[in-house]
Amino acid sequence: MRVRVWDLPTRLFHWALAILVVFSFATGKLGSSWMPWHLKSGYAILALLLFRLAWGVVGSETARFSRFVRGLRAGSAYARTLLARSPAPFTGHNPLGGWMVLAMVGALLAQAATGLFADDDIRTQGPLAEMASEATVRLMTRIHSANEWLVVGLVVLHVAAIAIYQWALRRDLIGPMVHGMGESRAAPRLAPRWLAAVAAALSAAAVYYLVAILPRAP
Amino acid sequence: MKVFAIAAAGLAATAAIALAQERALKPESQVKLRKSAYALMNYNFATLEAMAEGKRAYNQDEAGKAADWVANLSEVPKRFFGEGTDKVGETRARPEIWQKRADFDAKMDKMVAEAQKLPQAARTDAASLKKAVDATGDACGACHDDYRRK
Repeated sequence: MRVRVWDLPTRLFHWALAILVVFSFATGKLGSSWMPWHLKSGYAILALLLFRLAWGVVGSETARFSRFVRGLRAGSAYARTLLARSPAPFTGHNPLGGWMVLAMVGALLAQAATGLFADDDIRTQGPLAEMASEATVRLMTRIHSANEWLVVGLVVLHVAAIAIYQWALRRDLIGPMVHGMGESRAAPRLAPRWLAAVAAALSAAAVYYLVAILPRAP
Repeated sequence: MKVFAIAAAGLAATAAIALAQERALKPESQVKLRKSAYALMNYNFATLEAMAEGKRAYNQDEAGKAADWVANLSEVPKRFFGEGTDKVGETRARPEIWQKRADFDAKMDKMVAEAQKLPQAARTDAASLKKAVDATGDACGACHDDYRRK
C-alpha cells in the first residue's frame, strides 16, 4: 500500500542539506569575496546536522538510527540482492543506504566542525579560530581542506547510487524524497511536527551559541 | 601578546630591510622576514575585512592607516624568496616557487599592485574598500593555492 515513508522534516532536511553542500563547495572555490557566504552556509549545515542527529533519536520511524543502522551481515545480504539486480524492498533506508547516511553525516560534521577553527591567513577565520592554539588551527585547516574531497566522493557515490536505482533498477527513490509517499506493507510511525520544530530550534540555538556567543566570551 | 609579538617582528623586518639592500640575507633570516611581513599584513587586513563586511563600523582614519600598512608591507615578501629558502626553518613555501618562478613573480606582483589600491579605496568609502579588499584577497589566495603547503 501507499504510505508516507519520509516525513516532512526529513525531506526538508535532505533538500536543504543538498543545496547548502553544493553552495558551500562553490563559495569555497569562487574566491575570497564569497567566503562570508561560505561561513554562513557552514553554520546552517551544522545546524541541519545537529537536527538530523536529534531526529535520528526522537523522530519518525524511518528517520531513526536504531531502525536503519544495520550490521555487516545485513549489509552484505542486501548487497547480494542488489548485485542480482533485484534489491530487497525496504521501507526507508536499506542497510547500505543506512551506512551512507552515517558516512555523509559524519563527514559533513567533521567538515563543519573543522571549519569553525579554520583560518586561511588572508581574510577568513572560523569563529573559534582565535580561541584555539596555532597548532590546532593549522591542523583543523588541513583537515578541512582534505576532508572536502571525502565529502565530494560521498556525494558522487550517493548521486550515482540513486541514478542506478532510478534508471537501471527502475526503483524510484527520488519521488519519495520529494513527496514522501512510497510502497510499504505497513505505515511507519510518524513523529509529531512540533517535535521537529523544537529539535530544529534547539539545533539552531546551539550553533548560534558556538558561532556568535562563545567567541565573544571573555 | 600576539599583537606585541607581531609588532616586534615587524620592527625587526623594517630594520632588516635596510640591511637587505646591502647584501642577500641568510635563508633563515629571509624566511623570518617574509613571515613577519605576512603576519602584519594579515593583522591589518583583518581590520579592513571587518569594515568591508560590515562586522565593524567603517572608520576612514582607521581603514586608511591599516591599508597603508598592508600596501607598504606587501612589497616586503618578494625580496625574501631567495633560492633555498624553502628548505630552512619553518616555512610552508613549496619548491614550485623556484620551478615556476615567472608565474610566482607575476602573482606576487599582482598582489602588490592590488594592495597599492587599498589606501585610496580605504579612504573613499566602505563600498570602495570592499572592492579593493576582494581584489587583494583573491590575489593573495592565488599564491596560497599553488605555492603554499597546506
